[in-house]
Amino acid sequence: MLETHPTVSRLLTAPAGTPRHRNQDELVGLAQQVRLLGRGGAGFPVATKLAAMPRGRAVQVLVNGSESEPASQKDRTLMRQAPHLVLDGALLVARALDTRHVTVLVHDPGATDALTRAVRERSDASRVRVVAHAGGFVSGEVRAAIRLVDGAPAVPPGRRVLPHESGVGGAPTFASNVETFAQLALLSSLGADGYAAIGSAAEPGTTLLTLVGDVSGPGVVEVPTGLPLAALLPGQDTDPRPVLIGGYHGSWVSDIRDLRVERPGLREAGLPLNAGVVARLSNDTCALAEVVAVSTWLAGQSAGQCGPCFFGLPAVARDAYALLHGRPSTADLDRRVAQLPGRGACAHPDGAAMFIRTALTTMTAEVEEHRRHGTCGRPWLQELPTGPAPAVRSAS
Amino acid sequence: MRIEVDWTRCDGHGLCARLLPEKVGLDEWGFPVIDTPEIGDDLVPHARRAVGACPALALRLVPG
Repeated sequence: MLETHPTVSRLLTAPAGTPRHRNQDELVGLAQQVRLLGRGGAGFPVATKLAAMPRGRAVQVLVNGSESEPASQKDRTLMRQAPHLVLDGALLVARALDTRHVTVLVHDPGATDALTRAVRERSDASRVRVVAHAGGFVSGEVRAAIRLVDGAPAVPPGRRVLPHESGVGGAPTFASNVETFAQLALLSSLGADGYAAIGSAAEPGTTLLTLVGDVSGPGVVEVPTGLPLAALLPGQDTDPRPVLIGGYHGSWVSDIRDLRVERPGLREAGLPLNAGVVARLSNDTCALAEVVAVSTWLAGQSAGQCGPCFFGLPAVARDAYALLHGRPSTADLDRRVAQLPGRGACAHPDGAAMFIRTALTTMTAEVEEHRRHGTCGRPWLQELPTGPAPAVRSAS
Repeated sequence: MRIEVDWTRCDGHGLCARLLPEKVGLDEWGFPVIDTPEIGDDLVPHARRAVGACPALALRLVPG
């Protein structure tokens, strides 16, 4: 299934075993040398985040495995297949920060089981807390995740407080995505040169992606950074179709010729990779209906705290639905989408606006077809998942 | 100075748009739309009045 593009298997098959101890400065130095970026969505430099942390018994380490975007599978796959590597990374960071407080926040039941078992299997993880939750999309946002761990409602707070100042229980907290911790464990074992032996210069190493829809092999893959996106999307040059980069807070694009799987380059191109979802629609499904379905899902994921998001996202979803059925103008939708960014406690309205705005600018032919005929004649095949995630298929 | 909205508190009462129309408009649901949050010296007293009048304590004037 996966012979068509070059995958590597570093994270998903990493041998268990505690990586050598590194102090905070060493770990910061390593992360700096390989330009490690957080793998949750924001892509923040890990070295900067780690260097800002105080040390001591009160410090908290939070491993965010809440992965609540239905299209994303990479975090649960990693936790199910390599739970010890995730724990290695978490304990490595905890030791470097002179603390034993580690909390892993998990959404997926299979991942919860794997991690709980892994904690019991080792002698150095007795203080690791695995917290399972069933929250929605924005509950995965790091400050919402912290509140959830603290037993408060899992919604982003109104004031911008950074976790390294006040996180779990009000203590300074190093919080990052599960894949970030696994990458740190690998980095510590391999050293900077070994880690950077594969991948691009701008972001060495590998990255996990979730491939969705009409792609070379749907499911979770680990690829070297710098891989041309075209390698994952065969036939795109002769039959260009809308490609979604960065999941449901990401962007649609149809010309991918110059794009590579690498966070800095994609960000520069205005196409942030976010949590690593890459999707392409087939020619058999109604692309506009797929967009309407995701827009409706995004509207339903508003925590309901912020008016512009709570009222704006459903209105935008209704506008998109009207286009699907032949509304002649995109003016209402354009105006409402333009008002979303920057008007919420978290980036949910910003991300949703990005998804919808780029969908309409990429799918002009589809929108025109619907404007003229009220339909494109293709059925909605639900290629973009909006419900509970299906069973994991992965690349190992 | 700059005005900032705590969106989790704002209930769209709209007093800010009345007291600081130079900076604050309202969307179709009555929530503030602020295109440029920077407040020049001449507007600072008006901005302070808007901050003080917000029934939800959602508006802040912050340095920067």
